[in-house]
Amino acid sequence: MGMMEENQRERMEDATVDQFPEGLRVLAVDDDCVCLKVLEALLRRCIYHPTMAMDAKTALKMLRTMKVKFDLVITDVRMPDMDGFKIRELIGLEMDMPVIMLSVDCYKKVVLNGINHGACDYLVKPVYTNDIKNIWQHVESRRRSQAISHMSRDNANDERVHPGSLAMSKDSKNKRNDEYDSNKNTESTHSSTTQKIQGWHGQLSFKTSF
Amino acid sequence: MDYSNLRRQAASLKKGLFDQGHLDEQFRQVEDLQDEASPNFVEEVVVVFFKDSGRLITNLEQALEKYPRDFNRWDAYMQQLKGSCSSIGASRMKNECMSFRDSCGQRNVEGCMGSFQKLKREHAVLRQKLESYFQLLRQAGPAGAATRPVM
Repeated sequence: MGMMEENQRERMEDATVDQFPEGLRVLAVDDDCVCLKVLEALLRRCIYHPTMAMDAKTALKMLRTMKVKFDLVITDVRMPDMDGFKIRELIGLEMDMPVIMLSVDCYKKVVLNGINHGACDYLVKPVYTNDIKNIWQHVESRRRSQAISHMSRDNANDERVHPGSLAMSKDSKNKRNDEYDSNKNTESTHSSTTQKIQGWHGQLSFKTSF
Repeated sequence: MDYSNLRRQAASLKKGLFDQGHLDEQFRQVEDLQDEASPNFVEEVVVVFFKDSGRLITNLEQALEKYPRDFNRWDAYMQQLKGSCSSIGASRMKNECMSFRDSCGQRNVEGCMGSFQKLKREHAVLRQKLESYFQLLRQAGPAGAATRPVM
């Protein structure tokens, strides 16, 4: 309790940062084999570790059963067996992982649909090297907001702690994701929403200017 | 055999494809991804592209006949094809995909048919020219030289 855990947590976070962004484990899902081949090469060029899937069922099976935990998923919005928005929902329910949507279309309606389904970014094909280089920021942003949330709950002396969460900090760590949602830590929620908005807005403005 | 001449021909053919708008900047990005670890990457992507686009075009042709005025279905095929074209930088083909989809949106059958015929022509031209390009590269020199993208 207290200092020991704090130091250990800092060391673990430092170790994680040292490995970033190289080695990011990305699952990319698209039934377009041309796009998938180019995307795989782009991911490798960024020294990420890509795994490719051509349909939703295969992708979900990989996410659920593979021993290696993925850091991020990139998925096309439209696939024959399930649309990307549904995949994003299932990933959100079963595992906490950033999902980037990928599409041929950049219609505002479709982009907003992606954001509303919880996508952390929206890329329009063709995907450029810079789009892929920056995806690690979504993983980092999520890890930081989770780290802040954990430290707030565990540290009883922290002034940032919301009064309601003090009672909840006694619960086991396994329930922390549920607690995070029910606490609705406004700081984290705000920053992740801002991140989402900046994500697609930045993307769209890039595409428009091109 | 004059390897440098062959390489010049290949470069000229490729320049023509860019100048005439068959290929755009995305193709250069694909070329950038070719390296020692993937020395034939560009040709591999091109082969996959023509196999996939050939299949989509055949499916769409059947759908145009079997499902008249089924604009949603036609648009879905074209959306897939547009994705592949944009990934490889097949610019003229991509433009025809977009025209076709516009016609679908307007429920304009003639517009769709017209765009589809143009698309097939662009597909055939691009395939023929890229096949010639890679053949020239292969003839242009020993294995190492042939795999370097010609600027």
